[in-house]
Amino acid sequence: MCTFCIATIISFSKFPSVVMPGCQSMTTTYEGEQHVIAAAQHILKVLGENKSLTDDFRRVLTELDSHLSAMTIITESKRRGFAEVEEQLKCAERKVMRWESNPSLIWDSGPTEASEYIQAVNEIHTVMETLGGLSMNDHGRPKELAFRAQCVQQIAMSRLEEELYHILVQHKQSFELKNISFPSRVDFVYDESFVSVEDEIINDTSQRDNSGRESNEYTVDLIDPLLIPDIKSIASVMFASGYDREFCEAFIGNRKDALDEHLSNFEIQKLSIDDVLQLEWDALSCEIKKWVWAVKIIIRVYLASEKRFCNQILGDFGSHDSYCFVEISRASIFYLLNFGEAIAMGPYNPEKLFRFLDMYEVLADLHLDMEGLFSEVANAFVMSEFHDLLRRLGDSASAAFLNFRNAIALDSSTHPFPRGEIHHLTRYVMNYIKTLTAYCDTLNVLLKDQDVDDPNPVFETDNGQDICTSAFSPMGCHLRSITSALESNLIRRSKLYKDGSLEHIFLMNNIHYMVQKVKGSELRLFFGDEWIRKHNGKLQQHATSYERATWSFVVSLLRDDGRTSLKERCRRFSNAFDDVYKIQTRWRIPDLHLREDLQISTSQKVIPAYRAFLGINSRNGSDKYIKYTSDDMEKMLLDLFAGSSMSLRNSRSNSHKW
Amino acid sequence: MPATENQPSFLGRISIRRNQIIAMDGNHEQELEDLELFQRHIGDRFAELTSPPDNQDFPFSGESFLSISWLRKLVDVLLCCEAEFKAALIMGRDPSQISKPPLDRLLSDYMERAVKALDICNAVTGGVDSIRECQKLAEIVVSALEQKPFGDGQVKRAKKALSALMSASAIDDKENNHPRYAERTWSFGRRGNNSGGNHKDRTNHGSFRSLSMVVAKNWSAAKQIQAMSSNLAVPRGGESTGLVQPVYIMSNVMVFVMWALVAAIPCQERSGLLTHFQIPKQFGWAHAIIGMQEKIGEEWKKKEKKGSAGLLEEVQRMEKLGQSLIEFADGFQFPAEDEKLEEAAAQVAELAEICQRMEEGLLPLQQQIREVFHRIVRSRREVLDLLDHGKVSQPII
Repeated sequence: MCTFCIATIISFSKFPSVVMPGCQSMTTTYEGEQHVIAAAQHILKVLGENKSLTDDFRRVLTELDSHLSAMTIITESKRRGFAEVEEQLKCAERKVMRWESNPSLIWDSGPTEASEYIQAVNEIHTVMETLGGLSMNDHGRPKELAFRAQCVQQIAMSRLEEELYHILVQHKQSFELKNISFPSRVDFVYDESFVSVEDEIINDTSQRDNSGRESNEYTVDLIDPLLIPDIKSIASVMFASGYDREFCEAFIGNRKDALDEHLSNFEIQKLSIDDVLQLEWDALSCEIKKWVWAVKIIIRVYLASEKRFCNQILGDFGSHDSYCFVEISRASIFYLLNFGEAIAMGPYNPEKLFRFLDMYEVLADLHLDMEGLFSEVANAFVMSEFHDLLRRLGDSASAAFLNFRNAIALDSSTHPFPRGEIHHLTRYVMNYIKTLTAYCDTLNVLLKDQDVDDPNPVFETDNGQDICTSAFSPMGCHLRSITSALESNLIRRSKLYKDGSLEHIFLMNNIHYMVQKVKGSELRLFFGDEWIRKHNGKLQQHATSYERATWSFVVSLLRDDGRTSLKERCRRFSNAFDDVYKIQTRWRIPDLHLREDLQISTSQKVIPAYRAFLGINSRNGSDKYIKYTSDDMEKMLLDLFAGSSMSLRNSRSNSHKW
Repeated sequence: MPATENQPSFLGRISIRRNQIIAMDGNHEQELEDLELFQRHIGDRFAELTSPPDNQDFPFSGESFLSISWLRKLVDVLLCCEAEFKAALIMGRDPSQISKPPLDRLLSDYMERAVKALDICNAVTGGVDSIRECQKLAEIVVSALEQKPFGDGQVKRAKKALSALMSASAIDDKENNHPRYAERTWSFGRRGNNSGGNHKDRTNHGSFRSLSMVVAKNWSAAKQIQAMSSNLAVPRGGESTGLVQPVYIMSNVMVFVMWALVAAIPCQERSGLLTHFQIPKQFGWAHAIIGMQEKIGEEWKKKEKKGSAGLLEEVQRMEKLGQSLIEFADGFQFPAEDEKLEEAAAQVAELAEICQRMEEGLLPLQQQIREVFHRIVRSRREVLDLLDHGKVSQPII
């Protein structure tokens, strides 16, 4: 057997380590190759001549075979390219390293600098790709270059991260919260004593918040849009280099900070649930208002903008944009939802109803926005938290509403209300429910399943088409139930008066106030004309009852019963009239029309009887017993219910003050 | 472990006979029997948690003490106990029974504890978020060192993430620092020293950082635990009838689980956590709990000095691996010795496995804690309603 052959094969099999020792250049390997080729040709010749192989020869050939199959064939072009690759890397490395000693930021130094840097990083990546195509199983030149490229790449990536952070911070755009206004409703303070709720405060309420879905294009630029291509180019090159995690973490961290900062602009106190449950209502109500505003801005404006921004930057890189968006927003969303949870834990005092409704409405209104933001299946839990809170706030609102009715039903006093006037409770309740009409859509949804005992059900009538929808609505039923609780309460209170006449004045005042409130507002739609008619009827009844209670007796004194003398009758009548005058001028009917109506109808009952009495008795020389002329008396009747005690003397000379 | 296996059907375990709960005060024997059953269930559930994992041959099966999946089991146990407790307390009960002293007072104490537990749930949820941030850093380490072969560049890349990971996990919760603070400084602090005015924006972004922490500024997890357990008095003989015992037991269970969560997961202000809560040893149901408490306590003492992100097994292992990988990275010189490379590769593989477990377990754990949150809110509402009804003594239909 040819020993030369075996020696050649052995040296050939060691070829890689022989011809490519460490740093030798490509040109020196060329000569070695020529030898190998000659040797191989010789082997082939020998193999053609022999039919059998020695064990040794077979072993060496097998070794050779395995070597060959393990080797990548370096093509001619690759070999030539290698030098180019090295040059390319050196060039890119110079560009990258130049910035390492430069304290200024690349993206601050101009677009050319930035794009050159990106170009250099891209080149490094290309170099690595090219080198990746070469065999890395050896410790050769390509591998060394690859490691060098890795090092430069790492330096560049760190740098890009830093530049990214700088751009995100430097070009962050804040939007003025003032420019985005969503009307908020008037605050309504529930006071146990029912005092000091003036009508004026309430008058300008009930403006429906109509800044609804029609104008949902609320997105703003959170980052100067001119910088978006730059950020995107950083993203691109970092993703291409396998630094997607670094990019995302830096991006998320920065945007999370920006969101935190934005949230802090709303100056919402950070409260634990424990704190919330112990906070004074006024302070809490204030926090809730801030929350309502913050939730709306954050979800509708800020997060929608953030989502768009994430998409602009990362939309081309698979699901990274939604991953980043969720990571950025999740903690803040939960922070906002947790405050809602704390509020919804109760207690459900009536004064909280409006805030509950505000919170419920803002979330209900943001439902579609939320679906848009967190539509991915993976975010189902965010949506389910959102729905849970919405439901709980709805329940809280219903509970507060029902508690309101109960509070009215249970509210009581042992002292009659002075002068028979309109009770604070009446004012409070009517203004409260008037304000509620602004929330009627929401309340109709929330109260749908709540049973109510409607004492004044509205029956369908042929002429009531336009009002029937509201009047039949759950809200209509509940409102009528509330006023009926109020009426029962008022009747209970009216029994506290010792004077039966004042009982009627009190009820007239209060029912009249209720009717006026209903007639003069949206409430009319919920109560229906039938209710108004019925309550006007009640007013009339009380007027009649009043006249009967006060005047039937007084007038009866004029009647000649055949036993009492004229003089005595005149005296008794005058005394009785003076008593009524003295007492009832102190009573008060604040509504001038109502007061006049009652005075007129009283006159119509008293004056004709008195005139008739005077007419019958004028011939009997009764003049000396007559204290008042009928004109005097008519004028004096106009002093009744003015709420100021008039002395009789004054009243005669100065009889018609009002 | 699939999520479904972690959700034992608690309804199946409720074996308190409801129709017998209705039994009036007079039925003392029945009540004692129910109480005993309740206690046994509590004891059994916690005993299951202390028993070693089934598969001894595979120590990192994820079932070890204070691991994520162990915590998930612990939270499950809390949910089960709570369900059973509520069943005993509410179902079919005449509300006037629970609105009488001493139960009314004990229940209102219980409600206060529950509210504090809600804040702990929120704080722990935030803590899980910060662990997830550590996980993301560890993933960077893995992806850098998993490349074969790796050179200086990848080692540097890994080192950067590692030092961030270490400073993030070594947060000092006394300072109300959020791990993210540390993370952010690594990422961008590199040029902070030599670049002067150019980077001033980077230095002042600490003021609002705590906002994403879910709790208020001066809130303290340790104080919260203390407040939950301070008025937790052992019922005396005369009181220990009826529902007094279950309220006491459930309070202990809740405080213990919250305490364990606070110990395991980064939380705001935990100093003195150990001293605040002691369960008396005389109760049968408490044995397993006390055992775990002692074990956690020992771990806590070891870690407290160093300042730690918490006792969560995965985080601890991550810290350990991080430390040795930092050493590896510091001493790295190309070409590295095979032995060292192999060692590092093993550590990277372990880190990758931890990341995987975090990826699979942390969000479900967070959602379970949320479930606890909602459950407590619901139960609190129901009990409050019951107390209200009891006051006006209307039986619930």
